Amino acid sequence: MNLLSALVVAVIFGSGTFLLLQRDLTRVVVGIILISNAAVLFIISSGLLRGAAPIYPLEGGGLSGEGVADPLVQAMALTALIIGFALAALILVFIYRVYASQGTMDLEEIADSEMRDAQSLDRADDPEREEVPEEKQDGETDDPEEETRARR
Amino acid sequence: MLPVLLPLIVALLSAPATLLAGILRLRTAAPVGAAFAALAALAVLWGWTTSGGEAVDAAWVPSWDMRFDVALDGFAALYALLATSVGFVVIVYASRYLLLHLEHEGRPETDVVRFYFFILLFMGSMVGLAMARDLILIFVFWDLTAIASYFLIAFDSHKAESRASALMALFVTGVTAILLLIGSLLLYAAHGTFSIPELANVVEPGPLLTGAGALILIAGLAKSAQTPFHFWLPRAMAAPTPVSAYLHSAAMAAAGVLLIGRVYPLVQKSDTLLTALLVVGFASIAVGGILALTRDTLKQILAYSTIAQYGFVVVMYGLGGAYGAGGAAFYVLTHALAKSALFLTAGTVTEATGNDKLSKLGGLAREMPLLALGSAAAAATLTSLPLTLGFFADEFFFAAALERGAVFAVAATLCAGTTLAYTWRFWSGLFLGERAGEAPVRVSRLLVSPVAFLGILCLFGGVYAIPFERLSEAAGAVSFENATPIDATYHFELLPEYFMAAGAYAVGAFLVVSRPVWRGAALGFSRVGKVVGPERMYRDWLHGVNRLSDIVHVLEISNLRGRVASVLLPTALMVGLAVVATPSGMHTVGEVRPGQIPLVLALGVVAAASVAATFTRLHITLALVLSSAGFSLAVAYAFYGAPDVALVAVLVEIMITILYFATMRLIPYEALRKQSQLPLTKGPRKVLISILAGAFAFVVAWGALSVPPAGETVATEHIRLTPEVHAGDAVTAILADFRGFDTLGEITVVCIVLLAVVTLIGHKNPESEEEIEAGGRAEREGATVERVTRSIAGLLYLPTLVVAVALLVNGYAEAGDGFSAGVVAALGVVLRHLALGSRGHGSLPPTKMATALAFSGLAIALAVAVVPAFLGDAPLTHYPAPGASVVYLGTLEIITAVLFDIGIAILVLGVLTGILSAFTHATPAAESGEKMSYEERHEGREGS
Repeated sequence: MNLLSALVVAVIFGSGTFLLLQRDLTRVVVGIILISNAAVLFIISSGLLRGAAPIYPLEGGGLSGEGVADPLVQAMALTALIIGFALAALILVFIYRVYASQGTMDLEEIADSEMRDAQSLDRADDPEREEVPEEKQDGETDDPEEETRARR
Repeated sequence: MLPVLLPLIVALLSAPATLLAGILRLRTAAPVGAAFAALAALAVLWGWTTSGGEAVDAAWVPSWDMRFDVALDGFAALYALLATSVGFVVIVYASRYLLLHLEHEGRPETDVVRFYFFILLFMGSMVGLAMARDLILIFVFWDLTAIASYFLIAFDSHKAESRASALMALFVTGVTAILLLIGSLLLYAAHGTFSIPELANVVEPGPLLTGAGALILIAGLAKSAQTPFHFWLPRAMAAPTPVSAYLHSAAMAAAGVLLIGRVYPLVQKSDTLLTALLVVGFASIAVGGILALTRDTLKQILAYSTIAQYGFVVVMYGLGGAYGAGGAAFYVLTHALAKSALFLTAGTVTEATGNDKLSKLGGLAREMPLLALGSAAAAATLTSLPLTLGFFADEFFFAAALERGAVFAVAATLCAGTTLAYTWRFWSGLFLGERAGEAPVRVSRLLVSPVAFLGILCLFGGVYAIPFERLSEAAGAVSFENATPIDATYHFELLPEYFMAAGAYAVGAFLVVSRPVWRGAALGFSRVGKVVGPERMYRDWLHGVNRLSDIVHVLEISNLRGRVASVLLPTALMVGLAVVATPSGMHTVGEVRPGQIPLVLALGVVAAASVAATFTRLHITLALVLSSAGFSLAVAYAFYGAPDVALVAVLVEIMITILYFATMRLIPYEALRKQSQLPLTKGPRKVLISILAGAFAFVVAWGALSVPPAGETVATEHIRLTPEVHAGDAVTAILADFRGFDTLGEITVVCIVLLAVVTLIGHKNPESEEEIEAGGRAEREGATVERVTRSIAGLLYLPTLVVAVALLVNGYAEAGDGFSAGVVAALGVVLRHLALGSRGHGSLPPTKMATALAFSGLAIALAVAVVPAFLGDAPLTHYPAPGASVVYLGTLEIITAVLFDIGIAILVLGVLTGILSAFTHATPAAESGEKMSYEERHEGREGS
């Protein structure tokens, strides 16, 4: 059973990775959702395989917890699911925003336009000019050499 | 307790109070700010005289031994008095100056509020810094001053120079502040306390003290603009003059020596540190003095003089002894009064003449006699002429040097001489000689009287210095840990200090007279400093960092998918290494019991669906394949014995599917079609990466799953405790009780995501006529199938809500909890919306309302968590206590854990409906004007 679970986790994870590497942003999101599914399945599998739901009155081994599924991993999985949903929502909004501003959901095109934006940004506002104030008002004005040097 | 805390409270309250006053009525900002500064100064005086150095020491973060330990001892009183009283003078001055300044810059008058807010924030954090005795508390106030200084220096934020200067100040003082933190942590690691008085009792000289002390001292020296960190201070002159005056005399630069004085009980145990202070101090005096003699801009001269003056203070701490520690405090006091007066003088002169260059000014004594007299008193104090307060300051300096030996005495005399040279140059250049340029315009009395007031104080101190002496003695005693009797009276016998003073005057006079001889050398020094000085290194460093960031950025965006792989591959590598390094040696196949056949089938469907997702083309199919994988997973969870998870998984899967479609709706059909026709890149590299990733996941998962569960785990403990806390479902008990903090964190994250979604999506008015009409049209076209769905949805709405409530109420005893209840309720709302459209009963709650709902849920959960803290229990204690009897209302147990769960349910309901409502109310991308069509982009590319 654990071999089987591991196999399924691996298949989901691999498929998710494959989608993550696609050009289409929506597929990337599906990839992320699949990978988080793989994670939840893994968490659940790690504590289970032991028996019934951890709800009183307990079936099987009674109070000791034998034969009862691990409640802690379930709590964690619940948390992971809700957070996973919130993240999926956030990523979907990002896709919408990216589409609205770039007009495309193709990663190649987005990378191209990002590159162009970065270059035009570089040209428009040279960080060297921004970060380093001109050293004005330095040295004495009655020293013409110093004055021109400062201006330069 | 009140006398100690009142000054701090008043000082910290002043900034928000002034901000409020300024917002309500612009004109009141300055008077309110000045009144608060004056009140704070009075509170410090009153507190110091009545409390007599009392301390308030309360637990802050007890588990980390951090304490809120503040004391209004002499040391704190001195710096707090400086910060508040100079703050008062500066605000009075600024009330006039700032309006003129803003007029020159063409900025709205409302900007003054920002100025008062930050300068009072600075004042408040200085008072806090002065009083704090816990190293972490000091660090907090320290950083607060850095933030305030950043905004003050960059007050003229439209000028690139101001922004760059502010950034420089923030970098230099902020990066070194980290060293303060590291030094504190080193001391804590060795001695287990952050309290300076406690540390002073236990530290021993040695490498640890030298190392930690050096780190702390570097922070202090950088803030006081000592060599080699001095370069930020002249740059900070980009700020308006009142800011410069405050920063130099009583706030920013003073904070540095404040820190040194505060940790001096530790520092003075290490001779290495004292020697280092001497070296840095003398170097700063030399660098500051020489450069002050070469500068032409008024504020630049004063800035370099400040560097030199704090060099004197640092040297005094380095010399040590009673005169060193007590004299240092006295020197800071004197310098603050004199330097702020001189800065304000520079500001007034520039305001009156429109000129800020020494070479273009002169002969102003006739037109501005009061200003000339006031600043003459201040300048005389700085140069320590007799009958001024400064005379005693230098006397103590000389006395401290004499105690250490003749070499130091000679050096001290020479140093004091440079002060006279540049101060004379500044004052005589302004007020004596021929008038250069046009006659000054008349300036407001508010721009002159603060200078005169400070000048009078300097002269008063020269005649009757006892109050200043008392304060400095008290302050010095805190640093020195012994009484520091300093004697600020004139003596009629000839003390050696008097000879040294005379020598210093002679040196100064010689420097003034021989100016043509050394001018070239001094300018050369300044030029060399520009080429190889620390400022150059700072710039090179900044450029390097900038370039690095550019390179990384280009790498990041040039190939986005490559970057994904570049994250995945190293991760895989590390995981692989971990697997190799820690072999479990156990890989069992695990039996499949007959009862688990359905589970195996469900897992098979999950795997098949996941694989199918990799070659699905159309987005709708993709979404359906994804959700079928999710539903099968939920089924698998149910067979795993996790009904709660299964329930939430089903519901979340539905929501994700709906959300996916909602997003697709926002994107034009053509774009989606183009997208789905993109080639599914099945390059061998991608397939290989995916297979590798899957293989790693397999190895890790199989290895982990093969290890049999240990006998007694946390989980068994949780199961055992579940009935104790009146719960039936162990999972719910864990979520609401045992690990409630995790849940609290999680739901906070979810709330933040809701805010992010709502903000990012930006929505138009949801009920616009057009939209309703469009919805109506769509509905009419929707034929009979819709009608069936609609009636079913109508019928299902109430039952879903009932199920939600049942899940909530029952959750503690049986399957279900706040999460599933919230999701079920949201599902009911959403289902009805989908069926009925955005009209009438079907409309989703407005996004704002949903957000409010979500946050009220969070508030309930937080209240349940926090209230026990007020009742003396640990946060998140639930009532009734474990084992106590519970009141039942039907099957509902009245316990606070259920209330917590209700909070979660409300929050989840709010978040889910909010997110969906944001999506449905969003403008489809094609309509939003910011988008550029694909063709347009293409054209643009060809053109370029």
